[in-house]
Amino acid sequence: MTNLLKTPLFDAHVALGGKMVPFAGFEMPVQYKSGALKEYTFVREGGAGLFDITHMGQVRVTGSGALAFLQFVTTNDVSKLAEGQVHYSALLNDSGTFIDDITTYKISDTEYYLCINAANRHKDVAHLQAQAEHFDVCVVDESDDTTLLALQGTAAQAALQPLVDADLESIGYYKFAQVQVNGTAGIVSRTGYTGEDGFEIYIPNSMASEVWSQLLENGAEPIGLAARDMLRTEMGYALYGHEISDAVTPVEARLMWITKLDKGDFIGKQAVVDRKADGPKQRLIALKLTGRGIPREHYQVFVDGEPSGEITSGMHSPMAGGVALAYVKPEHAQTGDLSVEIRGKQVAAERTTLPFVRSNVRR
Amino acid sequence: MTIPADLKYTKEHEWVRIDGDTATFGISDHAQEALGDIVFVELPEVGRSIDAGEAYAVVESVKAVSDVYAPVGGEVIEVNEALEGEPELVNTDPYGAGWIAKVSIGDGQVELLNDDEYTTFLEE
Repeated sequence: MTNLLKTPLFDAHVALGGKMVPFAGFEMPVQYKSGALKEYTFVREGGAGLFDITHMGQVRVTGSGALAFLQFVTTNDVSKLAEGQVHYSALLNDSGTFIDDITTYKISDTEYYLCINAANRHKDVAHLQAQAEHFDVCVVDESDDTTLLALQGTAAQAALQPLVDADLESIGYYKFAQVQVNGTAGIVSRTGYTGEDGFEIYIPNSMASEVWSQLLENGAEPIGLAARDMLRTEMGYALYGHEISDAVTPVEARLMWITKLDKGDFIGKQAVVDRKADGPKQRLIALKLTGRGIPREHYQVFVDGEPSGEITSGMHSPMAGGVALAYVKPEHAQTGDLSVEIRGKQVAAERTTLPFVRSNVRR
Repeated sequence: MTIPADLKYTKEHEWVRIDGDTATFGISDHAQEALGDIVFVELPEVGRSIDAGEAYAVVESVKAVSDVYAPVGGEVIEVNEALEGEPELVNTDPYGAGWIAKVSIGDGQVELLNDDEYTTFLEE
């Protein structure tokens, strides 16, 4: 086991009573003193929740071939991005399964910025650099130098505005601006993983402590990984290693909306086309328990009394009850009586639509 | 952290209050603190016979599922149904309103610690 990494905010987490746990190679706070439920509630009920997500990776792609490169290595249509716009996308391998899911930021026609998952960072960077040899681009991993904070909840904008030189009101959903954060260059996007309005803030590590402290002074509260997972699961957002992995394609994962088959060739395209034609091997569904209990990851899902698949993410939602995402056999995506096996007992469930609770993102 | 002197404790962090031939079970303040916010408790059926050391209930926190083991053997005579609606009572009042089950004491017990011994055990 290699040593766990620490973000520049490690001491700040410990000082706030953060319970530190291993996560994607880092020591990260799973919760702070008040506990996951109170943190969750603070974000859902009008606060400004502050998350250290510095474990995530950032890659800058520059050069005259940047667009052609990203069209080939990512699934979404990068030609549709305007400067200052972000979209959700994915990296696939030749078999059409996920290397990672990412967000792509367009800075200019010759410069893009990618945010990638911590656990996949080295795999992603190696893949991108290998593919870059065929294009006129430069791929630089900036992860070690970059602190990433998420500030989520209705009060996020008011807490962040005093620190930045741009009018945040002018940044729309999935838009970003290159701004000065306390006088140092950074990126602020109106994006997140919670279903609330809010921002993600990319700054140099040297600014981490100062910005973190000021946001707390402006009324933000620190939020740990446990509450973050509750918030994202309630939205039905995919998480690598759960809903998506190198075992599923966008067809199974209900991510064809970020997979643009009409944009020209890209890695994994043919496999996705074939999988679409042959039909998926399994389907991701959203379910809600009608009986008592908490559906959890890896619990078996039954349809008409027969095993059909398993839960990839599940939780007790304070607002929606026992909810889960699960893969089931394709013929069970729409029909058949659902149940979840919890400690040897079948607990009744029903299909539902996503998100499990109302999203408050600014459309 | 509180460790009341009138209770006995197990190394699995349960407590038991023995009152004549009845025992009341719960989990310790240390246990609820370590588990974090409890969001679900699966209670045993009244009338169920349980052995000392047997898993008789399940507490689920936001992130974890944990078995709760019986400090002494016996037959379940009452369960704390309030936990079905308010599982957080285990967090807020682990030795009081957060009790889990009562049994009529039968045979057997696991190693039980008094408050001083449990305090020492936690420090080790």
